[in-house]
Amino acid sequence: MSATGEELVRVDDLTKSFGSTRAVHGASFGIAAGEIHALCGHNGAGKSTVVKMLSGQETPDAGAIRIGGDRLDLHSRQVAQRSGVALVDQELSVVASLTVAENLMLGDLRAGWLNRRRAAGPRLRALLDNVGLGHVDLDQPLSELGIGERQLVEIARALGQDARLLILDEPTATLSDVESEYVYAAVRAVAATGRAILFVSHRLGEVLGLCDRVTVMRDGAVVATTAVAGLTIDSLIVQMLGEAPHRLRKRTGREAEGPAEVLNVSGLSVAGRVDDFSIGLRPGRVYALAGQLGSGASEVLRAIAGLVPAATGDIEVDGVTVRPGHPIAATRAGIAFVSNDRKSEGLFLDKPISWNLLATRLPAVTRWGVIDRQRWSTALTRLVGLCGLDGKRSADSVRSLSGGNQQKVFVGRGLGRSDVRVLLLDDPTRGVDVGGRAAIHVLLRDAADRGMTVLFSSTELEELLDLADVVITMHKGVVVRRHDGDVAGPVLLREMTHGAATPAEERR
Amino acid sequence: MNVMSAPPRSDAPIRRPGRSRSRAELVIDAVLLLAVLAAIVLALTTHRFATVANAKAILTSASLVGIAALGLTLITIGGSAVSLAISPSVAAVGMIFLSAQSFGLVPALALAVLCGILITGVQGAIVGYAAANPVVLTIAASFAITGIATGVSGGSTVSPTGGGYDRLNATPGGVALSVYVLIGLALIVQWTLRRTGFGRSLYLIGENRRAARAAGLPVGRTTAVAWLAAGALFAVTAAFTAAFNTSANVNLGGTLTFDAIAAVLAGGTPIAGGRGSALRTLAGAVLIAAASDILLLRGSSTGVQILVKGVIVLVVVVLVHLRTEGSRA
Repeated sequence: MSATGEELVRVDDLTKSFGSTRAVHGASFGIAAGEIHALCGHNGAGKSTVVKMLSGQETPDAGAIRIGGDRLDLHSRQVAQRSGVALVDQELSVVASLTVAENLMLGDLRAGWLNRRRAAGPRLRALLDNVGLGHVDLDQPLSELGIGERQLVEIARALGQDARLLILDEPTATLSDVESEYVYAAVRAVAATGRAILFVSHRLGEVLGLCDRVTVMRDGAVVATTAVAGLTIDSLIVQMLGEAPHRLRKRTGREAEGPAEVLNVSGLSVAGRVDDFSIGLRPGRVYALAGQLGSGASEVLRAIAGLVPAATGDIEVDGVTVRPGHPIAATRAGIAFVSNDRKSEGLFLDKPISWNLLATRLPAVTRWGVIDRQRWSTALTRLVGLCGLDGKRSADSVRSLSGGNQQKVFVGRGLGRSDVRVLLLDDPTRGVDVGGRAAIHVLLRDAADRGMTVLFSSTELEELLDLADVVITMHKGVVVRRHDGDVAGPVLLREMTHGAATPAEERR
Repeated sequence: MNVMSAPPRSDAPIRRPGRSRSRAELVIDAVLLLAVLAAIVLALTTHRFATVANAKAILTSASLVGIAALGLTLITIGGSAVSLAISPSVAAVGMIFLSAQSFGLVPALALAVLCGILITGVQGAIVGYAAANPVVLTIAASFAITGIATGVSGGSTVSPTGGGYDRLNATPGGVALSVYVLIGLALIVQWTLRRTGFGRSLYLIGENRRAARAAGLPVGRTTAVAWLAAGALFAVTAAFTAAFNTSANVNLGGTLTFDAIAAVLAGGTPIAGGRGSALRTLAGAVLIAAASDILLLRGSSTGVQILVKGVIVLVVVVLVHLRTEGSRA
């Protein structure tokens, strides 16, 4: 169904800036009634800003959003809902402890103060049937449902708002193939009722299989809107990347035959997230796990750091086995972990910079359990210099620093220590400005030059190509390929978004 | 931080966030000081308040609550909120202390401390290693402790089996021994919090337990040790309380649980953990004791005394909250 005549949703010249950054400029596209329209683009292309403007979370600086010909002023999420825009967010927002019916009525504008479950019954039933959840009972607790079914409940809830435009933001990112199929079926069923669907996805395979047309964004602008019939994975990647990143990854000259492997992981599995992951890492090199949300890259790092109790597999540092699921054991073995959530799982925001930098090495700066001021200040001076922080501010709280400097403190905590053998970083430059990003890259490269093993996860092609000696691509919980040598950006992107390469690509 | 965008004042052209936060802290300390000063003015106008005998009475009444509150300070800073099982623990340990008097004072004291460590330490280990909710756990524990103590004692009052305990009621230099012990222990706890690796870990774990866990800090061990130390301090309170009363039953602890919580909060230690100090708790305990004393001398009823205690806690908690919000936001 690639009808372009009857456009239900029309977006014209949408523009949005944050400070001096133009996140979106002049974006225009249309979605017909009954069309499944994909929105694609690499990180930072402006997809999520467009989604936020359509769902009322951000107000456009310029441009118009029209649904059914009426120009809408979507200045809040409630207004957007009332205007017929429903959003199914990346993160599940259903509540496991409530029943299916209660979840469907959550945030429902028509639900009053009183629980009108009984009266709403037939309507809720129809919503569930619509998305293929005919077998699910309304009074069943949501906790009894699988993750894919929960996603469908979320879609059903969005439909319950009488949506004319349904936006799905990476709805299948964390789902298995089987679960994703349910979502596809539901999306097709919803489209058949004449609604417009905007489907945001990193998985190019499903985009081509499910959608009617694809709008690709790059650097805040719409590149093209094309019917899927005229597209292939590779032509999509060309649209997403343009000409620029065809350059090859710079090789650092370090050969694979180096000293013995420091970290050895084999058969690492996390149920539903990572399947049989194995890797061997040598000292002095920077390794990258390249994978989008749901690829399992983040879970691999967390599991090695001992933060996933359900993880199974063998982890060895210098030949010594590390028990999975025990962060203290991992730390003792010489593994330091930098989480992607520095506020809640990283820094002690109200404590001084000095405390944060030395938090993990208290035994090294104490004598008989008492803090040795001499050792404390020596270690602090060295670390502050190493991280390029302002020594005069080391008594200030970390909260007072910029995001980039906060991240430096977080990363710096694992640096300059002989007892840290492996440094794991989960998306280390998320939410960090360009300058801070470069500084962190230098820190990591220096750490590797001093003999540390660095393993980070990222979705940024630039970062993967610039920083990593070895890139391991992941897709849906499994390793796609390990690139020890040169590799081109489009190859990485293809593997991250679509999985295993075609034979033609294999020779690269 | 809003302090950075606030218009600069003429007296402080460069306002760094770190500075202004310590300034905000100063304001709170000043308010605390003002409250004490106001109390002193009130006190001086109160008949018989400014007498040596009355000062001793205040310090003595602050000492028993104060020692227990020092233990609770460790628990609170470490992020475990509060223990609601202080009174039953003190009662049980006090009974043990008096029944062990026949072995002599020092063995009885050692036994009491050991039992105190055991009772509270087990709770701490469960909170630390199994991440149990401390409030729920200590409610359960207080029933268990009272139940066992009642069962073992047969519900009767325990009398001392020897006379050694009376040395705890000594008043060297005219001041109760418990006051010296309170000050000595406050200094030790303060030093431990500020100068040891354990103390620093405790502050970090109290501020952000998840981050501490991810950083590989010994969350379980540190929490358990904080509770162990708290148990020892509860036991010291128990020995003094039992010696003072010369007998002990399951009600020996009285309202100690809430008095200790009030002292910690009145000292400005936030219930969420990660901040606070032993000296603040000491000040909080003295503040409450002095306020009660003034009201007592002015002839206020017990009801009013208790009410004022609540008002002090409320005012300090609100001030601490405002300061925290002011420095973050």
